[in-house]
Amino acid sequence: MAEYVGIDLGTTLSGLAYLKPDGNPEIVPNADGERLTPSVVFFDSHEDVKLVGSAARDGGEPDRTIFQIKRYMDDPEHLVDIDGKKWTPAEISALILSKLKRDCSKICGDINEVVITVPANFNELARKSTIAAAEMAGMTVKRLVNEPTAAAVYYAHSQGVKGRVLVFDLGGGTLDTTILEVAGDQIKILTSEGARHLGGSNFDDLLLEAYAEQYRKQTGTGLYSDERHRRRVLQATEDAKKMLSKLQRVNDTVANDQNSGIARIDLTRSDFEAMIRHMLTRTIFLVEQALDSVKLKPSDIDHVVLVGGSTRIPKVKQLLEKMFGKTPKSCGNVDECVALGAALFAKKSAKIQEVCNASYGTLAMIYNAKTKEEKLANSIVIPKNTPIPCSRSQVYQTSEDNERVIEVDITQGEDEDAKFIDVIGRITLEVPPNRPKGCEIAVTFSYDENQRVRALVVDKQSGRSKEVAVSYKGAGVLSPEELKRRSAHLRAMRIE
Amino acid sequence: MFKILKSLSNSLGGKSASKKQAAPAKPGSLLDKVNKGSPATKAEAPKTPEELCGLTPKMSKDEVMAQLKLLFRRYNRSASSLDAQTREQAEKMMDAIVQMREKHFGEI
Repeated sequence: MAEYVGIDLGTTLSGLAYLKPDGNPEIVPNADGERLTPSVVFFDSHEDVKLVGSAARDGGEPDRTIFQIKRYMDDPEHLVDIDGKKWTPAEISALILSKLKRDCSKICGDINEVVITVPANFNELARKSTIAAAEMAGMTVKRLVNEPTAAAVYYAHSQGVKGRVLVFDLGGGTLDTTILEVAGDQIKILTSEGARHLGGSNFDDLLLEAYAEQYRKQTGTGLYSDERHRRRVLQATEDAKKMLSKLQRVNDTVANDQNSGIARIDLTRSDFEAMIRHMLTRTIFLVEQALDSVKLKPSDIDHVVLVGGSTRIPKVKQLLEKMFGKTPKSCGNVDECVALGAALFAKKSAKIQEVCNASYGTLAMIYNAKTKEEKLANSIVIPKNTPIPCSRSQVYQTSEDNERVIEVDITQGEDEDAKFIDVIGRITLEVPPNRPKGCEIAVTFSYDENQRVRALVVDKQSGRSKEVAVSYKGAGVLSPEELKRRSAHLRAMRIE
Repeated sequence: MFKILKSLSNSLGGKSASKKQAAPAKPGSLLDKVNKGSPATKAEAPKTPEELCGLTPKMSKDEVMAQLKLLFRRYNRSASSLDAQTREQAEKMMDAIVQMREKHFGEI
């Protein structure tokens, strides 16, 4: 049995690594001989089989092929309809995890308990969905770990560095930036910032627009008229993007699916850099946000580490080099280091101090006795970057006489302005009648190692209390019973 | 400084602490009531990126950068919203923020 296993469940690629007896992690190839498995699922219409990986990505019918399901892991209403059956994002992800488990266990032994990586900015629901996906695939999640943390663990292990490290993780779908301190075996995360929908696939989309424009100019017609052909051209743009990381100019030829002729595509690296410039500016904003949140300057960072396939773009490295005044380093294969780090994390988690990725609090009227002004604000109980696991309390007062029901909104977000935070839950607590305003209510938030939050509300006078884990409702959120039922169903499926 | 526990739905019933509570609202629907949206969504929407970002000619470089960073933090978060309209508004704001950075501090 493989004791320490890590899985990188990526937006575009997924990988599994295990810890060898010598303490070094190794990627386990899938049954197709690939070290990484495209996170794509194809539902065949002729046979009762689900294809996962390259075969699914390269051949299937578009309306039966599911790409980038990870982007929907926090959408409780997102369902994929295939032949009348509605699949949740967790179920689709479970198919990918099942393929990894089944294929890799033939090489490294039975896989039961795993560490799975998630983007640092994954919210509560996305984390819960990831755990559910693993359970459906027949695995127990020992821990979730943030992707840049896993990469940093691998980097520290393989390079033997110490000091402050900034991990810049620009993958297929998301950007994460994490700052941490490494001292020997001990790793202390200082902060993580993330941007969703900012990754290589966004760059591919921009290149696709460029292809379509050049095609239109040369032939006077559109480059694609259906999803199948759009996918094919998109694959070509991805190849062109990779070439432009090595070459200054790329030529390609494309045709549409209407026999409208062939167009010659001519792209230079500088064209591509101009296309993605605005997105790269966002990445710089995010790095600055990470530095600001822990009051550090670029010169305080000892090592800049690149993770994720999109960091192969030369401009990305140049920008970071200019900002930090040092050459960014990559830890081996930028696509594999997250899975490798997850396997290491499975063994070393006790030596890694993580932090809350978001602030948690409640909504309160803040009364300023001096100015006699009051305003509705997000009152933070657990600030972002608090080391976890943790528990913090704040005492509030009731605002009215004879208040019978106390309602506590659970907020997620750093902004004081209530317009810019999310209300992710509510606790309702009945309290005794006939009490004056000003009764004390203690609100306690607890944050566990998997970055999941619980809230406890206590009426201090009566001692009444209520505790909840943040939970979500929606068509895509499965009940424990439904999860169990679908797990059994999924385990009987043919997945290749 | 006192902190009075207040559900957002109730808070909107009246700013005064002595007012009666409003009917409870479902989590998630509350923020709609306080016009959760970018300046771009207001009835008289500003048109220029400067106006969208709240930048004025009298602001110093440091003030401009601080404002842009504040807005980036806010709208980067909104860009991940499950609500398509909020995401779209956030994208517009992000474009304006990037434009303003390039205008005031040069291209990256």
